[in-house]
Amino acid sequence: MKLEFLAPQTLQDAVTMAKARGGAARFIAGGTDLIIQARKSGAWPEAVINLQQIPGFGEIKGTGPNFSLGSLVTHRQIEREIRFAGALEALRESACVIGGHQVRNVATVGGNLCNASPAADMVPILLCLNAEVALAGSEGRRVVPLANFIEGPRKTVRASDEVMTEIAFAAPAQKFSSTFLKGGRRRAMEISIVAMAGVVSASPDGKMTDVRLAMGAAGPKAIRLTEAEKFLEGKVLSKDVLEETGMLAAAAASPIDDVRASASFRRHLAGVYARRVVELSWNRISELNDDRSAA
Amino acid sequence: MSELKQHDVSLTVNGKAETISVAPRASLADALRDTLGLTGTHIGCEHGVCGACTVLLDGKPVRSCLLFAVQAEGAVITTIEGIGDAQSPHPLQRAFNECHGLHCGFCTPGMIVTLSAFLKEHPQPTSDDVREAISGNLCMCTGYQNIVRSALRAAELIEGAKS
Ligand SMILES: Cc1cc2nc3c(=O)[nH]c(=O)nc-3n(C[C@H](O)[C@H](O)[C@H](O)COP(=O)(O)OP(=O)(O)OC[C@H]3O[C@@H](n4cnc5c(N)ncnc54)[C@H](O)[C@@H]3O)c2cc1C
Ligand code: FES
Ligand code: FES
Repeated sequence: MKLEFLAPQTLQDAVTMAKARGGAARFIAGGTDLIIQARKSGAWPEAVINLQQIPGFGEIKGTGPNFSLGSLVTHRQIEREIRFAGALEALRESACVIGGHQVRNVATVGGNLCNASPAADMVPILLCLNAEVALAGSEGRRVVPLANFIEGPRKTVRASDEVMTEIAFAAPAQKFSSTFLKGGRRRAMEISIVAMAGVVSASPDGKMTDVRLAMGAAGPKAIRLTEAEKFLEGKVLSKDVLEETGMLAAAAASPIDDVRASASFRRHLAGVYARRVVELSWNRISELNDDRSAA
Repeated sequence: MSELKQHDVSLTVNGKAETISVAPRASLADALRDTLGLTGTHIGCEHGVCGACTVLLDGKPVRSCLLFAVQAEGAVITTIEGIGDAQSPHPLQRAFNECHGLHCGFCTPGMIVTLSAFLKEHPQPTSDDVREAISGNLCMCTGYQNIVRSALRAAELIEGAKS
């Protein structure tokens, strides 16, 4: 079987090549999803268009509050990014559990989002950060909120000739911190059973505010837990508050039974992880600020 | 077979400049083994899971079964053959031998290649650090204990060679 391998040097060429081949071509970044899927199913695309030689999409930019990730930024870059140490730690926590080192050294954040697995580990925290993705295609450039970009399992609004170029987000304005937790049967090399990300801010009077929670792997796509978020606004952390948070998270889950876990265990974990993420994030806010005053 | 258009790929393998002709769908692992005869790189799962096929690409461990050979254009590749040989073994190879870090040896090239990059960044690792470093490498035989021991021993050997 024929496979055409194309290596454009510019974004424009990549788009033109994809456009000329209709839906028969696929872009390739790290290839860690694409190659495995093609090999497993035997359904190879007619052409793959390598994005790796196009300059300009491999950098993390910004000094805060605004940041952008080039679509070709690897999970290795994110897990080691010093700008994300501290309040944005959840970005590093999400990246550092993806595959093993050998996967993270090549797999990209753009590939993780475009592949749109319900268990894609970068999605929950980027949903919490209200990330927007930039797409460039034959019809021009557009920016789409990540929440609208992913439609369902392996389904996105991306047209086949559109290249994702970058992912932009802004850190919250108030004192905040973030957490990502992933449930799997072993720590490394595991597809998430449930993934939970949270960003919690503190209001000047010491209450939780602007709480953002997102859950992956517990439904057809990762979602924000809007009920739990609303409930937590203005609350002080307590056992009861956490209890209710867990219940709201479990209720929002629509998990499946599969070889990794039963639906009921996934729902249970959703509750446990929502509680833990909120509690940890809240505690981290004071730790971060203690560190700063001590320094 | 004329429709199988071959691609020329220029890359550096174990310090030597090579230009190879590969099918677009050939993995880097296949190219190293079949085209260059470097059969030290093992292929276990071909699904990115086992780590037996690990090579260094520009100094970083990657799974060669998950890369098209054509993606390695211009890259600097190190395989287990480039890490050391029987005449001048790498400290990791000596340590694996000394500490019984292998049984069947299938996972060993991937383990050693992965650990060679790890020890450069972490010259004085703890056993937990080593466990984390090889979390993407599976071994069917050893139960990992002796692999961890070997890595720690290799760190000592490297440290000792410096002083
Ligand atoms: C052993 C193993 C373990 C893994 N573990 C995890 C895990 O724990 N968590 C997790 O989330 N994922 C995991 N993955 C999946 C995978 O590594 C990630 O999803 C990775 O981020 C995909 O990135 P890539 O660059 O390799 O994508 P590719 O395979 O290159 O691309 C994936 C898809 O996105 C498209 N695409 C890629 N980049 C762009 C772009 N810039 N514009 C438009 N389309 C694009 C491709 O056409 C393709 O359809 C694992 C994979 C393996 C092999
Ligand atoms: S053969 Fe490449 S990871 Fe198993
Ligand atoms: S020694 Fe046999 S697989 Fe590791």
